[in-house]
Amino acid sequence: MIKLQDVCKSYFLGDEEVKAVCHISLEIKNKEYVSILGSSGCGKSTLMYLIGLLERPTAGKISLEGQDVSSLSDEELSKFRNHHVGFVFQSFNLLARYSVIENILLPTKYAKENLDFNPVERAEEFLKKFGIYERRNFFPNKISGGQQQRVAIARALIMNPKVILADEPTGNLDTKTGNEILDLLENLNKEFGVTIILVTHEKDVARRTKRQIYMRDGQMVDKY
Amino acid sequence: MIKTAISDFKRSKVRTFLTALGITIGVLSVVMLIALGLGLKNYLKEQFENLGANLVMILPGSGFGGGGGSGSFGAGLVTGTKFDEADIASLRRIPNLKYTVPLYFSSTLIETEKEKKGGYLMGVNEEHFELMNAKLIKGEVFSKSEVQARAKVAVLGYTLADDLFDQAEDGVGKIIRFENSRFKVIGVLEKTGDREQDTSVIIPYKTTFGAINPDKTFWAIYMGVESENDVPDVKKKAEEILLKKYDKEDFSVTEQSELLSTVNQIFNIVNGVLVAIGSISLLVGGIGIMNIMYATVNERTKEVGIRRAVGATEKDILKQFMVEAVVLSLLGGLIGLILASLMVLVIRIFFPASISLFAVIITLAISSGIGIFFGVFPARRAAKLPPIEAIRYE
Repeated sequence: MIKLQDVCKSYFLGDEEVKAVCHISLEIKNKEYVSILGSSGCGKSTLMYLIGLLERPTAGKISLEGQDVSSLSDEELSKFRNHHVGFVFQSFNLLARYSVIENILLPTKYAKENLDFNPVERAEEFLKKFGIYERRNFFPNKISGGQQQRVAIARALIMNPKVILADEPTGNLDTKTGNEILDLLENLNKEFGVTIILVTHEKDVARRTKRQIYMRDGQMVDKY
Repeated sequence: MIKTAISDFKRSKVRTFLTALGITIGVLSVVMLIALGLGLKNYLKEQFENLGANLVMILPGSGFGGGGGSGSFGAGLVTGTKFDEADIASLRRIPNLKYTVPLYFSSTLIETEKEKKGGYLMGVNEEHFELMNAKLIKGEVFSKSEVQARAKVAVLGYTLADDLFDQAEDGVGKIIRFENSRFKVIGVLEKTGDREQDTSVIIPYKTTFGAINPDKTFWAIYMGVESENDVPDVKKKAEEILLKKYDKEDFSVTEQSELLSTVNQIFNIVNGVLVAIGSISLLVGGIGIMNIMYATVNERTKEVGIRRAVGATEKDILKQFMVEAVVLSLLGGLIGLILASLMVLVIRIFFPASISLFAVIITLAISSGIGIFFGVFPARRAAKLPPIEAIRYE
């Protein structure tokens, strides 16, 4: 379970304080499929990165599985991200110099403890499941956008995380491919029970999730 | 970690090569300078060994430059003690002696049918040529039996032979005259660079007994010792033997290695200066690495963001960039070392340059040190990048 209590995040642009998000309180239960909907610049991505522990809140409290994570060290946060969070980005963010399978295996390289699974076998399982097994030794620039996003999803899943954070995962894809990716995410939620938080500005995309969180100007609002 | 770094380099060969090049050139110049410095030292040492590095000289008077003897063959300045065959026999009993050479020395006038030339007359035994590493351009040197038989044979120094005959080697087989006797030239020596040696006529010492040297005495005795370690011992024993017969001021026992150690000291300083000069290019190479690493950090900001998102700690990123810098500079160092070795192999054909283990260890240590020193700043910068900004960086 993810719990945010009165969370704020502000940046300094020169001397001026810019509040990216403010006074956010929300709860996301395990195995939920939620979307955060809002126009660009509303702070929805910042909110996602706060939940994903890539950012620390300037005020408020975030707890994951009952543990307060607001004051963890860099090492503890990194470990949390490594084990519990998987990111999927709009622009895929694969390492260009690494092959498909190397990209998928990347998070396992940063696991500090021994893994209770065989990383290569698990990666190959995903590759087969997502229909890109033949592409496993290709470099990202040699495969299509849809395939790249599948690789990114496999990378997000490799450590068996509790939650997947997807930031506009269909933003760089055509409608058909985008729908395929959304189908895939929906399936993962059903099949593996992984919590999925989808960040988008498209109502059509948000509508596919079971719950929508609306945002405007850094605040949560009741209606979009 | 190192494997990751190397496989990363394989993915960007040109950049890796160019970055490592700075260090390669730095290491190359340091190693080459050390090798050439050592070569110069070796070369001089060889020159000394030609004179006999393990040479112990017994001279009249109280020492180098004092009394009757100057260090080299001081012509006509023979005063003080003269040594005789009995001394040779006693000195020969010293253990670890390889050669014992009596030296009769005077100046003389040498004549052929056409020419007349002043030169030095040296009366020695057959061991002289080995002791002095004398090399012939033509003919042969005299043997032990020729020494015993007082044979009228002569070996000419190069300059003297060249002055007396059209070509130096033409002298072999010809008859020359000096001190009212006729001698057959049996060999001509290579040029040594030593003026006295090159203008000498060398004959068996026993042949001088008689008209030339009625007292049957020698100006000096040269001894060749088996190894450098035995030199002090031989010196001491020779002094003991001679003191039984002569006064302390009448002779001196000196060794060539005293001079050699002075030369060594000078060259250690010269080497130090050469290394310091070479180190500047290593430093420049290191700055090159830092420069490229900084550029790399910018270029790879997004990569850092991605790695942070999937669970890399600041430490992981720091380590990654550090290892890359160190592997890169070690790689450059290794290539420089290999190139230097190849160049030294070629140079060795005509100059005794050499690469010491010390040079290898020091350059590898320095290049990895440079990697750490110049890698740490860019690596810290990469590690401290805020993940969110890194991942949004385009």
